[in-house]
Amino acid sequence: MTTTNTVAIDIQKLARVVPRNRNIEIMLLIFAFGINAFELCQIQLSTIQILTWDLMTYWTPITVAALLLHFILRFKASDADALILPAAVLLNGLGIAEIYRLDLATLAAGGSEVFGLKQVIWTVVAIAAASAVVLFVPSHLFLRRYVYISMFIGLVLLVSPMLPFIGKTINGAHLWLAIGGLTFQPGELAKIALTVFFAGYLVTRRDSLAAVGRRFLGVQLPRARELGPILAIWAVSLLVLVGEKDLGTSLLYFGLFLVMIYVATGRAIYVVVGLGMFITSALVASRVMDYVSGRFDAWLNPFDAARYDAIGGSYQLVQGLFGMAHGSVLGTGLGGGVPQLVPLAESDFIISSLGEELGLAGIFAILAIYLLIVSRGVRIAFNHSDDFSKLLAVGLSFVIALQTFIVIGGVTRVVPLTGLTTPLLAAGGSSLLANWIIIGLLLRISNTSDSRDRISGGVQ
Amino acid sequence: MSELALFIVRIAFLVVLWIFLFSIISVIRADLFGQKIVSRVAEANAPQRVSSPVMPAAPSNATENLMTEPTGVNATKLVITEGDRKGHTLRLDRREITIGRADNSDLVITDEYASTHHAKLVLINNDWLLQDLNSTNGTYLDGSRIGTPAVVRLNTPMRIGKTVFELRA
Repeated sequence: MTTTNTVAIDIQKLARVVPRNRNIEIMLLIFAFGINAFELCQIQLSTIQILTWDLMTYWTPITVAALLLHFILRFKASDADALILPAAVLLNGLGIAEIYRLDLATLAAGGSEVFGLKQVIWTVVAIAAASAVVLFVPSHLFLRRYVYISMFIGLVLLVSPMLPFIGKTINGAHLWLAIGGLTFQPGELAKIALTVFFAGYLVTRRDSLAAVGRRFLGVQLPRARELGPILAIWAVSLLVLVGEKDLGTSLLYFGLFLVMIYVATGRAIYVVVGLGMFITSALVASRVMDYVSGRFDAWLNPFDAARYDAIGGSYQLVQGLFGMAHGSVLGTGLGGGVPQLVPLAESDFIISSLGEELGLAGIFAILAIYLLIVSRGVRIAFNHSDDFSKLLAVGLSFVIALQTFIVIGGVTRVVPLTGLTTPLLAAGGSSLLANWIIIGLLLRISNTSDSRDRISGGVQ
Repeated sequence: MSELALFIVRIAFLVVLWIFLFSIISVIRADLFGQKIVSRVAEANAPQRVSSPVMPAAPSNATENLMTEPTGVNATKLVITEGDRKGHTLRLDRREITIGRADNSDLVITDEYASTHHAKLVLINNDWLLQDLNSTNGTYLDGSRIGTPAVVRLNTPMRIGKTVFELRA
C-alpha cells in the first residue's frame, strides 16, 4: 500500500478550500443567462414573429462580461457572496430586453432614437468597472483611508452640473455633464463617494453621536453640536433640490444619511428629527418652487383634465398607470403590450413597461429580486466584525433600496414622481455604471468577512 | 406564432422568473437554517452508506479496542457536547466536514472565536483527520492546540471557541 504517499498528497489537498459559493453562483448565473435568452426570444417572436441573430447582440455581451466577473471572483474573491451577481445579471438582462423591445416599437413606428445598443455597451463597461473593483480594491478597509477625499470627490461631482459650460440641462433638471457628445450624470457616482464618506465619518463619530444628551418628555435629545452633520447634509440635499431641481436625488442623499446614522448609533431620534426636517422643507418647497409644486399636484390629482393636458403635467404618470392596468395580474407578455405610449418608457418608466408586459406577478418578482440584493447586502454587513465595513455595506445596499423605492414609488403613485433611475433596469449609462460599482464593492466586502478583521483594522 | 403558443410562453416566462427567485431563496434558507445537517441526515438514512466499496470490511474486533482502531470505520456521527448548539448531531458519511462561521460550512459555528473557514475533518485511509485552516483562535484536540492535521479518535473532545464536539460510534 502507498499509505504514506497518499497521506502526503491528501494533506496537501486539504489546504485548498473548495469555493462552494462560486459553484452556486455559476449555476444561478447560467439560469439567469437562460432567462435573458428566453426574454429576447419571446420579444422577437411576439413582435417580428421570427427569430433573428440580432438577439445575440443583446445577449452575448452581458453573458460574457458576467462570466468574466465570475471567474475573476473565483480567483480573487472566492468567498464572495454567491447570490448578488446572478440577481444583478437577471435585472440588467431584463432591462436590456425591455429596452430592445421598446426600440423595436420605435423602429416600427418610423422613429430612429434607439437605446438598446447603448445599454449593451454601458453594461459591458459597468461590469468591467465592477470587475476592476474586485481586482484592484485590495480589501474593504482600503477605502477607509480615503474618507475625506471621498467627501471632496462626492461634493465636486454633486455640484459639477451646476457649473457653467460643462453642465447641461435636460428636461428641466441640471443633472448632466456634457463633454463632447457624451452626457454623464455625475450625481450617480457621487452617491458611492458619499456613502464611503458617511461610513468613515460615522465610525469615528458614532460614540459622541450616540452619547446621552438631555432627556425631554421621555426622549433623549442629542446635544446641539451633534446635530451639526445632519444639518450639513440637509443643507447639501436642499442645495441639490434648489440648484439641480432634482427631488429624487435630494431625497436619496438625505435618506441614505438617516439610514446610516441610525445604523451607527441605534437612536431613532435622528430619523425622527431628520424626516421632520425633510418633510417640512419639501412642503415649503412645494409651495415656493414651481417644479416641486407641479410634481405634488400631479401626484395628488393626476386624473384632473387640466393637469393631464398641461406640459410637464401628469400625462406621463397617468399613461404609466394605464399601462400597468392594461397588464393586469399576468401581463400582456413581453412584446405583447404597448408600453411605447408612455414617454421615457425605457428609462424613468421602465417599471411601468415591465408592469404592463409582465403584470403584477412579474413586478412582484422584480421587487423581490431587489429585496434579495438588499437583504444580501445587509447580511454581508452583519457578517462583518469591523464597523466601517458594516456601515459601508448597509449604506451601499440602501442606495439601491432607496432608489428602487423612490422610483417605483413614484411610478406607482406612492410618493411624488421624481427623476431617479431604476437601478440596473433602466436605460442610462451613469446609473448602470454606479450600480455595478456598488455590486462590485459588495462582492469585495463580502469576501473578507472574517474574524481576523478585528485584529487587522477594527475601530481605532 | 399562434395566440395559444404566445399565451403559454407568457405564462412560462413568469413561472421561470419565479423559479429563479425561489432558487435564490432556497440558498438563503439553507444559509439561515443550516440545510446541510438536514440533508446529511437524509443521506445517512440511505441504505448504501454503511458499506462503501472503497472501505475495507469493518474489523470484527472493532468494539474491543476503540482507541487504536481506525476511526473512519466506527465513527458514524459527530455530536456537539458543548456550546450554543449542544446536543446537535451531524451524521458522517465519507465526505469531508467543513467547520467554521461561513454559512456554507457543514458545521456552522456562530461563535465570535470561530473563523469563517476554521477547520475541517477529512477521512484519509480510514482515519478522520482534523485540520486547522489557519484559524485565528486555533483548534483544540483533547485539550491541546493542533498545528498539523491530527488523527481523531472516537470520543475525543475537539474544541473550537466555545463549541466542543466528538466523534461517536
